[in-house]
Amino acid sequence: MRRRDFLGALAAMAPPNNHPDPGFRLRDVTRAAGIDFVHNSGAFGRKYLPETMGPGCAFLDFDNDGWQDILLVNSMDWPGHKRRRSTLKLYRNNRNGTFTDVTRTAGLDVELYGLGVAVGDFNNDGFVDLYITCVGQSRLFQNTGRGTFVDVTAKAGLGAHDGFSTSAMWFDYDRDGHLDLFVTNYVRWSEKSDVFCSFDGRQKSYCTPEAYRGATCWLFRNRGDGTFEDVTAKAGLLDTSSKSLGVAALSYDNDGWPDLFVANDTQPNKLYRNQRNGTFSEVGVKAGLAFSEDGRARAGMGVDVAYLDDAGLASIVVTNFDNEMLGLYRATKSGAFVDQAPKTNMGLATRRSLGFGCFFFDANLDGQLDLLVVNGHIDETISRARHDVTYAQSPHLFLNEGNGSFRDVASLIGPEFSVPKVARGAAFGDIHNDGAQDVLITTNNGPAYLYRNEQSNSNRWVRVKLTGTKSNRDAIGALVKYESGDLKGSRTVKSGSSYLSQSETTLTLGLGRRERVDKLQVLWPSGQTEEYHALAAGKRYLITEGKGITQQ
Amino acid sequence: MPARTPTVIQLVGLGVTLGAVAVFSIFTLRQLDGLRRLESDSVDRSRRDSLQLIRIQNNLTQLGLALRDMAEGTEPYPITGYKPEFDRMRGDLQDALSVEAQLMPATRTPAQQEMLNNTFARFWGEVDHLWTVAAQGQTNEARALIRTRLESERSTMTTVIARLLVQNSEAEGAAVQEITAIYGRVEKNLYVLLAAVVAAISITSALVILHDRRVFAQLSRLSEERKELAGQVISVQEDVFRNLARELHDEFGQVLTAVGVMLQRVEKKLPDASKQREDIHEVREIANQTLERVRSMSQMLHPPVLDDYGLENSIEWYLRQFEKQTGFQVHYEKIGIGPWIGDTIAIHVYRILQESLNNVVRHSGTTEAWVKVAYSPASLCLEVEDHGAGLEGKPARKGLGLIGMRERAELLGGQMEFQKPAEGGTRVKLVVPLPAGGVHE
Repeated sequence: MRRRDFLGALAAMAPPNNHPDPGFRLRDVTRAAGIDFVHNSGAFGRKYLPETMGPGCAFLDFDNDGWQDILLVNSMDWPGHKRRRSTLKLYRNNRNGTFTDVTRTAGLDVELYGLGVAVGDFNNDGFVDLYITCVGQSRLFQNTGRGTFVDVTAKAGLGAHDGFSTSAMWFDYDRDGHLDLFVTNYVRWSEKSDVFCSFDGRQKSYCTPEAYRGATCWLFRNRGDGTFEDVTAKAGLLDTSSKSLGVAALSYDNDGWPDLFVANDTQPNKLYRNQRNGTFSEVGVKAGLAFSEDGRARAGMGVDVAYLDDAGLASIVVTNFDNEMLGLYRATKSGAFVDQAPKTNMGLATRRSLGFGCFFFDANLDGQLDLLVVNGHIDETISRARHDVTYAQSPHLFLNEGNGSFRDVASLIGPEFSVPKVARGAAFGDIHNDGAQDVLITTNNGPAYLYRNEQSNSNRWVRVKLTGTKSNRDAIGALVKYESGDLKGSRTVKSGSSYLSQSETTLTLGLGRRERVDKLQVLWPSGQTEEYHALAAGKRYLITEGKGITQQ
Repeated sequence: MPARTPTVIQLVGLGVTLGAVAVFSIFTLRQLDGLRRLESDSVDRSRRDSLQLIRIQNNLTQLGLALRDMAEGTEPYPITGYKPEFDRMRGDLQDALSVEAQLMPATRTPAQQEMLNNTFARFWGEVDHLWTVAAQGQTNEARALIRTRLESERSTMTTVIARLLVQNSEAEGAAVQEITAIYGRVEKNLYVLLAAVVAAISITSALVILHDRRVFAQLSRLSEERKELAGQVISVQEDVFRNLARELHDEFGQVLTAVGVMLQRVEKKLPDASKQREDIHEVREIANQTLERVRSMSQMLHPPVLDDYGLENSIEWYLRQFEKQTGFQVHYEKIGIGPWIGDTIAIHVYRILQESLNNVVRHSGTTEAWVKVAYSPASLCLEVEDHGAGLEGKPARKGLGLIGMRERAELLGGQMEFQKPAEGGTRVKLVVPLPAGGVHE
């Protein structure tokens, strides 16, 4: 047998679907869309810890026109080292694939050392408001409904809270119909308390969080009158040992009350069980989420929660440092979580990457939730110390192949997507209203990237936007279960998740080749349940709590 | 010598080897069992206990950090705000302590255990007191309580736990030493076993070899004896033949010659053409013929020419005789000049030639033969060849003649070969070494 024949025969023996086409591409449309944002970390050589952390981003529909707009958080130069002005950026969707920078007119061209963002309509006026986490005082910007925002931090009672705030999340923990606010804080740091850390004893390098004391997260209860009350201690969340970066809500005990998962850096992750009386109890260790499978506290960064199958059991993804793998904690029937990543190729694929933003979304609209993870090191000199780790790193996109197996297709969905970057925030949203979820990625001290999701597999979808009436207006915390033929899926409306970022709250239900959603069930945060039938594929629906469904 | 077979020796050797392996295995298994017990009982247990102690220590550190934050008042929350964290850690500590109590090593004294429990009880007592004071709004008193009492209790707990950890690690060290000793013993036993097995195999092999050598020696002696016997048989035969030939020639020959002479004398006295004379003549003829026959027989049994003129001439004489008697044409070739080859060698070579030619007559189915005698100082080479039917198929049962030829060749220390000439037929080749300096009997 000739060698070529032999190799040919070998190739023929390989499984036929070894590298099937993922069915979609992510094409870089940043420039074409008019997104010219560049993050300013303020770094001037002193290597302050916050410089490496940001920024976050968000998809939101601030003008309620049904098209996803973009918000990009920015930091700024440090006092005494002023070189340029840098503000966060708000881009309005022009409904033709391009965006217009409306920061100034929206009144958001304010300088702050921003890191993350949470989008939610805290006053239930129908317009989403913004909470920008900062080093120092974080800010609440209220949407006036006329295309502008007003800083209501102090008025809302959120002032006098200086911190190194990272991710934030709107959720209704007491289910009173008003969105409450959870803010994660990293460590106790200020310019004055900055510590000198160094690899070589001479040059300063960025410190690991071990150098600083932890800081408690904050829970602000929405009184329903436009003001908030700090209930951190009252709710049993005061914990000055944690060094938190990511937060997600889930109902891990399936009681309909939102529990909290907090990803901590070098400290055990925390799972706060909602005790339905305004307080939480911490059960992270018991639930198997605090540590890695070998019992170490890892460098938790980003986090997301999803129902990956119809078993009604949540899966939690946590991105970690390089050499740690990400954690893919899957709930078991007993209520304890087990990290599946070491057993799957996901663990191997993420061993050399330092992950930040991450989220589950249906990239190819086949009805299975896929996982996107963006990476980037914090130390630009890392490749000098570690030959197998780089500063800029390629993202991962794990395609869910059903039966719990994932395949990294990042390198197969267009060369632009896998370009190594020092990525931090990540969010998804459908900017074209074509059913495909596009991706927004921010990089530290660099540009933001907008990737258009181009489907090539003719998979179908249904998009659903929920509006609460008894529940909070954004319906954050709502659970949607849908059935289409043999396909069953669950999606939640959520704030928080990923890292410093927020994705759109409109739900995309992938259908594969199926023509319609046969049954759709909404479990509103208020406790109300509604059921709808026969939703046609390729259509967008608006469901208002207690009022029914309309096609947009 | 008694016939002890090597099988017995081998079986005994195998038994010894298997015995050694069995004994060692039992011993090793017992050692390993001990090792396992030691590891699970003390090392594993001690490690698991240490893990619990580390868990406790970690909680104490967390409590320390919380106490520091509480004392400093850096957070805008009341001191009671830390209660959930403390409650959670209290629960975890209680759990850790109860697990630890089950795993604690045997070296722990009741006094130590009591001290541990008392320390923790005192600390939580102080903590409860703290909540009461803090709930009454006496923040400064609460902070003072933290700095004075709680911190010192916490550091006592830390010290106690640290000491227990050291104790565990010492116990582990001792266990590890014990384990190393067991490994050492097992290793030593392994060497002993190895030595025993090697010795058993060596002894068995040596005995078998010794036995084999004895058998071989016996065999070769038997072979020698048999050869000697064969030689004696042949030489006895030759003696008999020679004596018989001499008797025939001397006694009967003389008698018959005398009878002939006497008959001739009688014949001459009788009138010519008389009936008696005719009869006498006839009788004389018979006597002469008998004499010829006796002489011929005598020569066949032991040609006197061999004794008188040596091998070389005997061969030539015999070949002439052979041609005359059988009508065969013999092509004779002689290479080299033969030394005097005396009786002992000569008679055997002569007999081999005789037998070979007889075979040619019997089996070849031709009327031609080739005889070659080559002399060299050290050896004699005789070749008898025919181009007839050859020996194939026939010597399935080698005739007594062939065996006799071989015996004679062996007696002479020479070699017999049966070859197949290119023309077909058979070639008998005999090579006989000649003693240096010729042979003189």
